[in-house]
Amino acid sequence: MIELTHFQVLSGLLFAIGLYGVLARRNAILVLMSIELMLNAVNINLIGYSIFMNASESHRALGHVLIIFVITIAAAELALAIAIILRLYRNKSSINTDDINIMRW
Amino acid sequence: MTSLIIFYLASCVVLGGGLAVVLSRNIVYAAFGLIASLSGVAGIFILSFAPFLALVQILIYGGAIVIVIIFALMLTKLEDFRTLSDHKHWPIALVTSLITLGIIISTAFYRPANLTSRSGLDLSKLADELFSKWAVPFEMASLVLLIALMGGVIMVRKIDSRDDK
Amino acid sequence: MESNNTLGLHAAWIIPSISAVAFLIIVVSMRIAGYFYSDRTKLALLAPIVSITAILAGFILFWLVLLDVLNFGGGSISMNWLVVGLTEIRWGIFVDKVSVAMLGLVTFISLLVQVYSIGYMKGDKHFEWYFAIHALFAAAMLTLILADNLLFLYFAWELVGLGSYLLIGFWWEKRSAAEAAKKAFITTRIGDVCLLIGIILLFKATGTFNISTIFHIAESGGISDAILNSSILLIFIGAMGKSAQFPFHVWLPDAMEGPTPVSALIHAATMVAAGVYLVARMMPIFELAPEIMLIVMIIGLITFIFAGSMALVMSDIKRVLAYSTISHLGLMMLCLGTGGVAAAIFHLIVHGIAKALLFLGAGSVMHSIDNETNIWKMGGLRHRMPITAITFFIGAASLAGLPPLAGFFSKDELLLSILHDGQYVVLAITLLGVFLSALYMARVAIVPFLGSTPKHLEQSHESSSIMWVPLVILAILSAGIGFLILPLSSTYPGWAEFIDPSHHFELEPWLMILSIILALAALIFGWSVYLRKSVSAKQIIEFAPSFYKTILNKYYIDDLYQWIIDKCVLAFGNLVALFDRVVINDKAVDGSAISVYMSALKTRVLQTGYLFTYGAAMMLGACGLAILWWILLD
Repeated sequence: MIELTHFQVLSGLLFAIGLYGVLARRNAILVLMSIELMLNAVNINLIGYSIFMNASESHRALGHVLIIFVITIAAAELALAIAIILRLYRNKSSINTDDINIMRW
Repeated sequence: MTSLIIFYLASCVVLGGGLAVVLSRNIVYAAFGLIASLSGVAGIFILSFAPFLALVQILIYGGAIVIVIIFALMLTKLEDFRTLSDHKHWPIALVTSLITLGIIISTAFYRPANLTSRSGLDLSKLADELFSKWAVPFEMASLVLLIALMGGVIMVRKIDSRDDK
Repeated sequence: MESNNTLGLHAAWIIPSISAVAFLIIVVSMRIAGYFYSDRTKLALLAPIVSITAILAGFILFWLVLLDVLNFGGGSISMNWLVVGLTEIRWGIFVDKVSVAMLGLVTFISLLVQVYSIGYMKGDKHFEWYFAIHALFAAAMLTLILADNLLFLYFAWELVGLGSYLLIGFWWEKRSAAEAAKKAFITTRIGDVCLLIGIILLFKATGTFNISTIFHIAESGGISDAILNSSILLIFIGAMGKSAQFPFHVWLPDAMEGPTPVSALIHAATMVAAGVYLVARMMPIFELAPEIMLIVMIIGLITFIFAGSMALVMSDIKRVLAYSTISHLGLMMLCLGTGGVAAAIFHLIVHGIAKALLFLGAGSVMHSIDNETNIWKMGGLRHRMPITAITFFIGAASLAGLPPLAGFFSKDELLLSILHDGQYVVLAITLLGVFLSALYMARVAIVPFLGSTPKHLEQSHESSSIMWVPLVILAILSAGIGFLILPLSSTYPGWAEFIDPSHHFELEPWLMILSIILALAALIFGWSVYLRKSVSAKQIIEFAPSFYKTILNKYYIDDLYQWIIDKCVLAFGNLVALFDRVVINDKAVDGSAISVYMSALKTRVLQTGYLFTYGAAMMLGACGLAILWWILLD
């Protein structure tokens, strides 16, 4: 039978993959994709708890509602991130994250 | 038992797509990996009796987000991405993500007390909740979306107008 | 203490309020008038009219209060000021025979001095401001007299000091006036701080500021001896500062830099008497500490003799009067030290009137001869300004103690009080002081007014009527008020019994005759030295030249203070300044800035600017927190 643990392990694995991508990849668009992976890992966790928790319907609906919000925010974030990346590319002719270090000392 | 097999299949798609995103040398393959991974998540949603969420997942991620990412790839110089090199400190990244993985997995074995067997949620109930109790956050989310889109448009347009001068 | 709230009691708290309101009106109208009229002389009379109306109203209300006290014996009213926990602090007034007498003195002298000032200060740049401060001072002084609790009293005490400071430094463009104002303020401030500490000690011991309640607690032994003695001593030091007692007397002669009417009001009749009044008011607890009473007496005696001797050698007419004031205040303190409240208060009133008269007379002289104050440059003024001369003679004779003028009676009462206390040595020294005071009074009256007129004074003339009318009123009072000491009718048993029913009116003929003889001897001696020159002053000086020089230099006390300030205070100040520069400024302030800068130099390397570093650090931090959470939870 499918259990909550399955969802949690899957979610953890996907989150770790996404995290590795965020840290290790140097292309800004790939970093963005990895962030999407991490957000989906969260969604998996949420849906897992939503269907396995012994709680009232309105409580369990909270999991679904949160997933919808996460997807919405992911879309908004992506729109802005893409705009930022495009602008960076225009200014610096590069979307390599190592080239973007003007915020340092 | 069937559902467990389907779950494992979906998991493989999810994780394989994810690995393709983070390991692929070609960015276009990475984008395809992302599509696969997100579709796998949609499969997980279906297994969780949430077909509506699966639909939303495919529509928004598959239909919108990935397309936008691919557009971004087109607008930047694709040639640079043909061969992608990773960060030279990638082992640190690996260790960090493994530690995180360890912590998350270990939480999986702290089982909450009141679990039931897998049970779904009626879509009408979700709609009820979303548009009554969560109506204000829902509207806020729409505002956030609007503002983000406006911000994106302004950012990109400003560059154009400055370039024109 | 909530007793009969009679009409008189309500009148009493209105008296200072009117003057306070007058102050506000004058200041605000000055401000407003400044916007509309560049030439303020048109409005100049507004300020004196407001302030004099206020003090006149106060003087009229005084009679109501007096009637009330005579009929009902006074009382107190108060209202809540603030409540902190269980401690209540109240505003309130307390009226008894002593305070009503002071009330009459202050309103009356203020009224006359303010009227006189219209003539004296005419044409001054800050004419309105002068009257504004006068109103403020009157309000503060009247509050001080009426206050029923020590905190309220202290509040008024400081305001009085402020008024004094502002009026001494009224001509602040003059450097010496500004210096004198500072000196007065700082010297009295030493006393004020002691007074405050004393009040706080009493408050800590009793939990109340109310004077009568403190008396009750003290009399029932509710305050330990050490606390009682130290707080009383501190309160007395406060009184010494205000009343210019030795060794705090140095400010009063310098305070003569202010306008002369100010000297008459503040530095002769009212404010300097506040210390004496305070001691008289606190007498019930002073009596519980015989050692402190002895100190009061000794300080009074020293001041009386020292100041008297200095008054004898000064050549500035106002300074002579100032030292005379100090001397007489010393006499009052001396008398208080023997427990003679009634006599001290009576002398306070008599001296206040006479000294106000003398100062106003001196002001009248200075006004007509171009602000000359050196008595040796005056002479024969009696022909030029007869009214001033006659009134001045009456005032001087009164203070010298010639019968039947007021000073004779009050001085006699003081001597009697000392005699009753059994202090024969003190009495003998006091009689010497009586001789001295008669002598310097003879000097300051004879030298400017009698003799021949120097050439440069031939243009001098009598002052305008607005100035000499107050002089005449004061002279009449100064001559006549002494009879209040006598049991005039069946309902009035004489001053001593009126104030304190346990005393009775009495006379000691030999003491009276002795004091008359001393006064006359001093006058004759002064006459022969300063007018007939049959005894050469020079010869007397040569008898003990170094002693003369010492007195002339005010016993070097001012120089000693200056030396202490220069050597000790300034050296300490430099040390503190050095500490401030080196430790506080260089090490602490700059040092902390430098250490932040240096540590920033070291730690800013952490800010790589790379996404990788930030992301890894963030995630590892989150993992660390999760692990910590686990550890703590298990």
